[in-house]
Amino acid sequence: MAEKKGFPMPLEVEYPKELEGWEEMYPPMYMFSKDRKEWEEKHFWFHDKIHAPEAMYPLDLIFHEAWQISLSQYTTRVFCIPPAQGIAQRMVGCYMYITPVAPPPPEIIGEKAGLFQKRVFYVFDHYDELWGVWLKKFKALGEEMNNIKVPEEFPKFEPDDTVLPEPKGYYTSYDVIEAWDKLVDMMIKGWQYHFQYLNLAYLAYLLFADICRKLFPGIAESTIGKLVAGAYVQMFRPEEELCRLARLAAAVPAVSKILKSDIPADKKIESLRKTAEGNDWLVEYEKSKDPWFFVSCGSGWFHYEGSWTTKLDIPFGYLKADIERIEKGEKIERDVPSIDKARAELAEEYRKLIKTDEDRKSFDDTYRAVRTIYKYAEDHLFWVEHWFHTIWFDKVREFGRLLVKYGMLKAPDDIYLFNRFEVPLLLEDMATTWALGEGVPSRSQYWQAKAEKRNKILDAAKKWNPIPALGTPPEEVAEPFTVMLWGITTDKVQDWLKGMAVVPAEVTELKGFASSAGVVEGKVRVVKLLEEITKIEEGEILVCPTTNPAWAPVFTKIKASITDIGGLTSHAAIVCREYGVPSVTGTGIATTVLKTGDTVKVDGNTGIVKILKRA
Amino acid sequence: MPYTLWFDKAGREAIGLVGGKNASLGELIRADIPVPPGFSVTTEVFSEFLSAGGLKEKIKNLLSKIDIQDVSSVENISNRIRQLMAETPFSKRIEEEISFNYQALAQVFDVHDLPVAVRSSATAEDLPGASFAGQQDTFLWVQGTDEVLEKIKLCMSSLFTPRAISYRIKMGFPHEKVLISVGVQKIVDARAAGVMFTLNPTNGDPSKVVIEGNWGLGESVVSGICNPDKFVVDKVTQEIDKAISLKECECVYDPVRREVIHADTPPDRREIPCIEDQEVLELTRYAKRVEAYYGCPQDIEWAIDKQKPFPLNIFMVQSRPETIWSQQKKEPVLGKKSAYELLMEKALSRVKVSS
Repeated sequence: MAEKKGFPMPLEVEYPKELEGWEEMYPPMYMFSKDRKEWEEKHFWFHDKIHAPEAMYPLDLIFHEAWQISLSQYTTRVFCIPPAQGIAQRMVGCYMYITPVAPPPPEIIGEKAGLFQKRVFYVFDHYDELWGVWLKKFKALGEEMNNIKVPEEFPKFEPDDTVLPEPKGYYTSYDVIEAWDKLVDMMIKGWQYHFQYLNLAYLAYLLFADICRKLFPGIAESTIGKLVAGAYVQMFRPEEELCRLARLAAAVPAVSKILKSDIPADKKIESLRKTAEGNDWLVEYEKSKDPWFFVSCGSGWFHYEGSWTTKLDIPFGYLKADIERIEKGEKIERDVPSIDKARAELAEEYRKLIKTDEDRKSFDDTYRAVRTIYKYAEDHLFWVEHWFHTIWFDKVREFGRLLVKYGMLKAPDDIYLFNRFEVPLLLEDMATTWALGEGVPSRSQYWQAKAEKRNKILDAAKKWNPIPALGTPPEEVAEPFTVMLWGITTDKVQDWLKGMAVVPAEVTELKGFASSAGVVEGKVRVVKLLEEITKIEEGEILVCPTTNPAWAPVFTKIKASITDIGGLTSHAAIVCREYGVPSVTGTGIATTVLKTGDTVKVDGNTGIVKILKRA
Repeated sequence: MPYTLWFDKAGREAIGLVGGKNASLGELIRADIPVPPGFSVTTEVFSEFLSAGGLKEKIKNLLSKIDIQDVSSVENISNRIRQLMAETPFSKRIEEEISFNYQALAQVFDVHDLPVAVRSSATAEDLPGASFAGQQDTFLWVQGTDEVLEKIKLCMSSLFTPRAISYRIKMGFPHEKVLISVGVQKIVDARAAGVMFTLNPTNGDPSKVVIEGNWGLGESVVSGICNPDKFVVDKVTQEIDKAISLKECECVYDPVRREVIHADTPPDRREIPCIEDQEVLELTRYAKRVEAYYGCPQDIEWAIDKQKPFPLNIFMVQSRPETIWSQQKKEPVLGKKSAYELLMEKALSRVKVSS
């Protein structure tokens, strides 16, 4: 075991006074505790800035609870990646920390190796057909979730047809409880599906990256990413649909005039309804909407991000900009065939440099395997984090409205202040009160007071800057996600250690992953909260904890991106390569060190960001 | 047998006449690589020079007196041979032909007394490692017919330096089997120059071209007296990884002393790259072309002219097979493993995270 290298131990963390009471918002197994101290202190816990960069609303934690179980079980119990174990989570003052669990004993590694060989090789061989099966299954689950009926109200009396001629036998109180349970069950199940092949996709990527480095020791990380990246990725489909709709609108002045105007999106739709051309366009819009506009305005991980179906001004804003660019004669579409051709040519040129036939064969085999299975890593993102989560948020909103209607909460979104084990308490209290008859009080004041207090704690947490990591840095990591997604390497850990000691104003240079090639200079815009994304101006350099593909349309505006966290296949890296925007990911401290208006030089070839001038 | 051959007329088929170095220049020209023009003084000149006036017998006689154990004896004999060669004039015909070619070269550039480089280019047909058998001599900034003739003769007599003699004796190469040709080539008045490899010599990465360069003539890089700038360029993506050195000295021609000197680099040029990105990429393009032409990794000397505009300012002055990585057997790097075997290996591996 490595000796302590300077990160505090979990129980040593000091919290601001305003955060008092944060622990009660999350399930007890999410707390660092004296009873697990020895095990916890042996592990290395880092703030998951990729999926949980912001203070966590208790109900939004459900996705993480689901992935902790699912990701881990595929590694430990299903596909059995021999030396790897799962990823454990903890909450630290409203922020989520994770750790790759230390490897199992040698005899377990041996047992797992046999199972791995049998199961994983099979999946790799049959991947094409398996992906089709997966998608069908997943879409069916999403439809099922969409079909859950959340009662709009508790009736004064159950209607006749539920009683006569034969009583149904269960009524609104049960419907509410059942609908919630189903909703939660499906979310958990969706996330079980989510990791069905993802661990294997990442493993294939790591293998291919290894092979490239053995054949071409100096090959850039960003080049490996480029070789693997697919051009026909479903996460880009929402934007492609927008382009299609913008083209249609641009051809009809009556429609484009409305879409270019500065009125809110719902008013635009109203105006379009009044003309035949407008209605024709709306028919096309509806065709694109399900499923392609079931896309989060952010990462898909937070209820307040909204989706293109709830925050209409976002897609309509993109449409306006697209139409204006079409009218200026600019091209708005990504040139997908040429992106794909460029990738194929890149691969062929490296292939030609390989000296022996044996090596060329190993390269070809692995490249084929990674290209096939890696598509999954890119495509599942749309279906799970966007489409499926959007349906979830829509349904949860219905429960929120019901709770407000019966005075349990003040605002529908207050439901997110209660974790998934607590929401049933509110629903049961509400249903019981209805069942008990007239004049019976619920504990609405208790729930409302709790909601108010939690809102305050979360506001305080948003202002608090959590430290990057806790516990003992490990000597090695075998868990593929830790390296691939979070980019945890020796250098990263060292940088974090250094980062804890730095005075932000004295830093002159940041180091991260060279994720997307190119060198540019410019002014930065620091975006810590997703809502601030709209403030980005043409030609600025985006600095954020992490980005994701739903922000795609802003990538045509920005000059470069810099993130705190993220490896070479993080969402930011993929999008930047697609758009040819230079990117440095995983700097650890960019959002702490840089201020909006600072002038920097981003070198996407070396992963270095130089601060040229402070604002 | 011709006394002289222009570079573009003599490639690898003429190696016996013009030696390895000159033949490789001919090959580069055939591969459409810009090479400063010039001509070879063939081994025929060397043979005829030795035969005339019984020089050959005198040398043979002297060499037979060497006591290999006695360093001073080797030195002594070497001096006497080289003295003998210096005193013996070339025949009229040889002198005329070399002089004619030199004038013709000068006329192309409309420069009287055109500065040229005079280099030896040894050959020893059936002897491997011939390059060591003849001491390689280079004279830079040679001007005027008389000096050209003098330096050509010095190159020829470099075959009899003490080191060259001892080397042949030690290796058992017969002295008379080693012949020498001399190249006379227009010098590149270099703003910057250096060497490049068509693979990364530090790790054998075949996807990289590694360029090292310094201000001035390439000698400062070849001889290693100064830290050069280093550019590692990806052959496929063209990405350039630069390491710019503090370059404190450079090799330049001093017209007063009439020789190449080591000069202090002016402070304003010490920390800036000696070649621009577009020049780096152009060099890379040529490196790839040379490697493809020869079908094996190369070690190339290049120079960038002070006066000419880009891209006409870029010249290759020499290319030879890269020796270290190319001599390794072409073993598969991945150990003949299938994708599945490699996957199993990867699945069992761990990534080191802390040192």
